[in-house]
Amino acid sequence: MNFDLSEEQQLVSDSIERFVLNNYDLESRVTIVQQSPGFSLDHWKTMSELGWLGLPFSEDDGGFGGDQLDTMVLMEQFGKGLVLEPFLASIVLGGGVLKRVASEAQRKAWLEVVIDGSKQLALAYAEPESGYEPHNVAVAGNKTNDGYTLTGTKCMVLHGKTADAFVVSFRTSGGVVDQSGISLALIPADRDGLTVQGFPTVDGLQSSELTFNQVSITADDLLGEIDNGFGALNEVINDGILAVAAEALGAMEILYKDTVAYTQAREQFDHPLSDFQVLQHRMVEMFMEYEQCKSLLFRATMEVAAGGDDAQRCVHALKHLIGKAAFFVGENAVQTHGGMGVTEELRVGHYFKRLLVIEAQFGNTDYHLDQFSA
Amino acid sequence: MDIELSNDDLSFEAEVREFLAGNAYKDGEDPNKWRMDWFEKARGKGGWDVPKWPAKFGGPGWTPNQHYIWQKETARSSTPWDMPFGLSMLGPVLMAHGSEEQQERFLPDIRARKVNWCQGYSEPGAGSDLASLKTKAVLSEDGSHYVVNGTKIWTTMAHIADWIFCLTRTSDAGIKQEGITFLLFPMKQEGIEVKPIITLGGSHSVNTVFFTDIKVPVENRVGAEGKGWTYAKGLLEHERTGIAGISNSIVALEGLKDKASSVKRGNGSLMDVPSFKAKVAALEIDLMAVEYTELRSLATASAGTAPGPESSILKLKGTDIQQRIQKLTMEAGGQFSAAWGGTNAGPDFARAGMGGYMGSRVYTIYGGASEVQKDIVTKKVLGIKSSKK
Repeated sequence: MNFDLSEEQQLVSDSIERFVLNNYDLESRVTIVQQSPGFSLDHWKTMSELGWLGLPFSEDDGGFGGDQLDTMVLMEQFGKGLVLEPFLASIVLGGGVLKRVASEAQRKAWLEVVIDGSKQLALAYAEPESGYEPHNVAVAGNKTNDGYTLTGTKCMVLHGKTADAFVVSFRTSGGVVDQSGISLALIPADRDGLTVQGFPTVDGLQSSELTFNQVSITADDLLGEIDNGFGALNEVINDGILAVAAEALGAMEILYKDTVAYTQAREQFDHPLSDFQVLQHRMVEMFMEYEQCKSLLFRATMEVAAGGDDAQRCVHALKHLIGKAAFFVGENAVQTHGGMGVTEELRVGHYFKRLLVIEAQFGNTDYHLDQFSA
Repeated sequence: MDIELSNDDLSFEAEVREFLAGNAYKDGEDPNKWRMDWFEKARGKGGWDVPKWPAKFGGPGWTPNQHYIWQKETARSSTPWDMPFGLSMLGPVLMAHGSEEQQERFLPDIRARKVNWCQGYSEPGAGSDLASLKTKAVLSEDGSHYVVNGTKIWTTMAHIADWIFCLTRTSDAGIKQEGITFLLFPMKQEGIEVKPIITLGGSHSVNTVFFTDIKVPVENRVGAEGKGWTYAKGLLEHERTGIAGISNSIVALEGLKDKASSVKRGNGSLMDVPSFKAKVAALEIDLMAVEYTELRSLATASAGTAPGPESSILKLKGTDIQQRIQKLTMEAGGQFSAAWGGTNAGPDFARAGMGGYMGSRVYTIYGGASEVQKDIVTKKVLGIKSSKK
């Protein structure tokens, strides 16, 4: 049994940690958030040059042959700095679908430019009425002579405004909540009838809403088999959950450590706050939640990477625990920092906001508990 | 024991409802004029513009039942915005400890909503431990005025306030609760700098306030020098009752149920999802109990006793409930609660859902953090004295 990172993973981890330390202090992050496009094109270029964007792609696709564990290592470090660049949207989600089901021609056209960062992908699967169910797809493909037309809305599409193409789920048969009958297509952002409305989210990231008005897609746009898209979509969403869980873990580490440091520096009632037992025990609990999340993150990520039978159950368990811990660690970090905790001036509030968004992404805490126990 | 409303109470309730319905804001009205007219008319009802003021100072002199009815009804109606600082916080201090001259000078403008006050309590080094405050007030040699220097923080609405009531340190001798003096002075003067603090979600209501050589005439001191802590403490207990916000929570819980019912889940709504429904039910049960804790506290108050340590329980429970309502509202909005403007996706109420939740985190911090409230209950209610030095 071995929970150590490989030598390569350790090198990547150290290099990302340095990148975050050098580039992602609160002030620098706020500056990036306030400027269009909401992330740094320079950082994005650096990430490509250092090979991070190619990490989870096979060598045949021009990547480094990494798996979910490598992404975990990277995302945990990203979480410590609340990194803004669209790694999750373009590499894990959009790229994740392509690497699984794209045709030779689609790979040639897209993977190289995605890995070098010159083009971005985004995943459009959620809909206004779909709740947290990825198989709840109402946007229907209406058959035409050489393909389909799509009409409808996809929402909460991460980094949609800067995406060059979208991986889109749509229904080609079956009822609205059937897992079969879901198809996937890769649709360029400039396709006629497609409008993208970008908007910020509370964590400083960029999301978007996509409106399809009689958007034509041809056989060349289809990703994988007709009606059989759910499997790949679900795998990619699981990868997304593992990625944001690792990011959340990094964020929680900052929160509990900042709280420990703050209580030792802040004096009230002629004592450092850390002298008060009620706060000591609270911080112990924050630390325990963090460690429990780490254990389950390892378990779920290894299970998924190994294609184990328990993979789906582990992912549900992980997303539940991460959400629960995110609230506990976040709320208590803010509470223990007192008034300063609710300002934009300290970083704890910013980490907490990111955790809130992660909690509601890819199914919230309750949703995954229901799925786990179903 | 009797909780039935008497016939008098019922006719009072009808009168309140009639007043509130008859004076609700109408579309197109000038909001400011409506606000001032509303208070004027409330005043005409016999002190309804200052419900909590005693009859001696022009208040209605209501029974606890009447207060309860008023709170319940106003929580459901369109009433004008109001600031508590002058009306509910400084007002009672002046009535209890101010000179007659101070009462005549300040109370009428507070009542008329003409002068906005802010509260100078917390300091960068004195939050939960308020008594360790350091803002210095030094009496001039001729005894005519104080000179104030120091910094206050979390000062709500300092950027629009005309005056501040301020705790200052006039002596370092003795225990730190002694030597605190309660001063009043105008905010719009040289030597006062107000710096905004932006809270999570980007809004500005609190500030840091810097005082440099502010001259305050001695006649602006409330009560005796060095006794400010005693006055402030009573005031904090008032504040704590006020921020429990129970009547508002009852209305907000109904709103939460409506919102969750509008969110589609499967063939039903979110209110049909057992895990969500259970959380709403648990919240409602706590709220039912705390509503009666407040009534019990009101009944004590009617017996002539000032709000005491039980107000700490109200603050603890009341703010917990407010936070849970915000959290469940955010949860009901799902991932759409993360949107920060610029989209119409998802249910209308979801937008800024996370803003509401983040804004609610401060409820367990301001007005004495929950940890401090629990210390008060430990000492004052449970009677536990720490032997630890």
